[in-house]
Amino acid sequence: MRLAALDPDAGAAVRVIGYFDRLAEAGAGLEAIVRGAAVLAGCPARLADEDRRLALRVEPDGRPGQPDGPPVASWLSASVGPGDSARLWLERPGPAGPVEAMVLERAAAAARAVITRTRGAATARPAADEGAVEVLIDAGTPPEARRHAAIALGLAGATRVHAMAIAAGSRIAPAIRAESPAAAGSPAGGGRRMGIGITVSLDDVPASWATARTALRLTAEGTDDDPGPRCVRYDELGGLALLAESVTAATPAIFDELALEHAALAAPWMLATLHAVATSPSLRAAAAALRVHHSTLQERLGHAERLLGWPVREQPGRHRLYLALALRRLRRHPDPGA
Amino acid sequence: MTTTSAPGTPSGGPAAPAARPPFDPELDAALVVLAEYISPGVTADMIPALRERNALFPAASDEQLTRGGAFDVTERRVPGPDGAPQISLLICRPSATLVPVPAIYNIHGGGMIMGDNRMGMAELVERAEELGAAVISVEYRLAPQTPHPGPVEDCYAGLAWTAAHAGELGIDPARIVVAGGSAGGGLAAAVALLARDRGGPALAAQLLMCPMLDDRNDSVSAAQMAGLGVWDRTANETGWTALLGPDRGGPDVSPYAAPARAADLSGLPPAFIDVGSAETFRDEAVAYASRIWQAGGVAELHVWPGGFHGFAGLAPHAAVSRAANAAPWNWLHRVLAA
Repeated sequence: MRLAALDPDAGAAVRVIGYFDRLAEAGAGLEAIVRGAAVLAGCPARLADEDRRLALRVEPDGRPGQPDGPPVASWLSASVGPGDSARLWLERPGPAGPVEAMVLERAAAAARAVITRTRGAATARPAADEGAVEVLIDAGTPPEARRHAAIALGLAGATRVHAMAIAAGSRIAPAIRAESPAAAGSPAGGGRRMGIGITVSLDDVPASWATARTALRLTAEGTDDDPGPRCVRYDELGGLALLAESVTAATPAIFDELALEHAALAAPWMLATLHAVATSPSLRAAAAALRVHHSTLQERLGHAERLLGWPVREQPGRHRLYLALALRRLRRHPDPGA
Repeated sequence: MTTTSAPGTPSGGPAAPAARPPFDPELDAALVVLAEYISPGVTADMIPALRERNALFPAASDEQLTRGGAFDVTERRVPGPDGAPQISLLICRPSATLVPVPAIYNIHGGGMIMGDNRMGMAELVERAEELGAAVISVEYRLAPQTPHPGPVEDCYAGLAWTAAHAGELGIDPARIVVAGGSAGGGLAAAVALLARDRGGPALAAQLLMCPMLDDRNDSVSAAQMAGLGVWDRTANETGWTALLGPDRGGPDVSPYAAPARAADLSGLPPAFIDVGSAETFRDEAVAYASRIWQAGGVAELHVWPGGFHGFAGLAPHAAVSRAANAAPWNWLHRVLAA
């Protein structure tokens, strides 16, 4: 017999708590914590933190390694701390069963203690780096200063870079990465919501920054109350980018937005259900993503349609719903400007 | 150091010292979960229930052992010691190799009182496949029903038959390695002593994993780890008493029962010995390796920090377990290649 994934029986939660408590008491490091999550949940686990440049991944047999791509949006995850950039994932889709939920909670707590002890509270990169990024995103920067800033960031040789707009509490933190987002292998995002700008040369970083901020406005927390992607790439938006750029605080709300807010208040499942319907290839797929029976989904949609005032099960109603949800996200993230 | 017999000290050894090596953090945490299945102390009345608990140490099926056709798996009944019943050998030989292959003669563990020749075989055959070796696992009679010398003579008889029939089995008689863990490690060391003293069969090496070598059970490590981990001093007394009866710990114990008693450790095949720093057997394993070197012999010793008895099999995912599981095969590869 060996330590393996726990069945969700009565004692499992206690064993999970005991496991991570013991790791914490014994002073275990991050890899051991991530490994514990992987073994007890029976699936790969990863910890990533852009700010602290951390990326750990462990297989359920204990083998350590690196993430080989960005995290999948449907995976179970938990932030290591409120507002903290570090995030822990179990690489399997939700919803979380009782064992996974407890594993995430306890592993995240254990990781938080180690991270704040060993790597400091979540702060952005050192001040010098921050200053260099600010210089590059400023359209008024003269070319010489631009070159110096690029050198300071280690981007001097880069011909293709993109800016990122990262939600950091109440502010938006800028970042710049070499390569296009598709070419970059590291897990973009770590934990925070972020918008990824278009790929440009170093001279055009201000333009990439503007598009990154637009993309950020279309992100969401990814919860039932705020469904949507945590990471959005501007170059994948197409026409939605025009919509985003034209909607400001001064733009009056349209009927669909008010109807959606009204519907959202009516039931706790409303927004997540509408989001699934708007983004899934079919109603059956939406039901599967929501883990509800097809007939349950139909009932919910009947209710929703009465509140919204238009049909959403087929086109063009579904597309109209998709846009309404996008508008909702835009309203939640009005761009304060540069 | 004064030796007082504290109340409840089974073997009258040193009183439990205040300090003991800590468990490795990942192993400490694993014990929280494993504790449901394993208690450190074993007494004679627990033996029948332990034997029932097959789920504790998974027994490999024939299908698992063939590894998709890579191995031919057979069971042979062969002559036991004079006047004793026949014994069974489980023979797994690489199916595609025509030339004689090296062979691992495996003796299972279980404190002398439990287990069978399929214990741990799945992992063993997986490693053997990488080496291109056969594995032969002997079913020896268990104590207390069969006291010494029955178990070790069964093991020796199986080895003698194997060597004598090497041609028929397609194995290379110059590359037979005796191997075992815990009680199996002790029996393997004893079989190596018998083979030396009886003039055969020739052994290429001996692989002794956390071996059970010393019936006196009075080492510092035995005292330190009393009541902790897996297979503590009380369990050890139970196992040795089952094998030796009232002779246990006395002046007349044969080295073929307890290899630590052997006066002469010269002329033995190269040995690999491993043990955890936080287990009963630490001191006797280290002493055995030291005495092999003092006699001018060849041995490789690994003491894994924070390891409890059998940690590498019970918690294979932990970082220290991964290292401990790789080391014997790294050594065997070097030994067989020489």
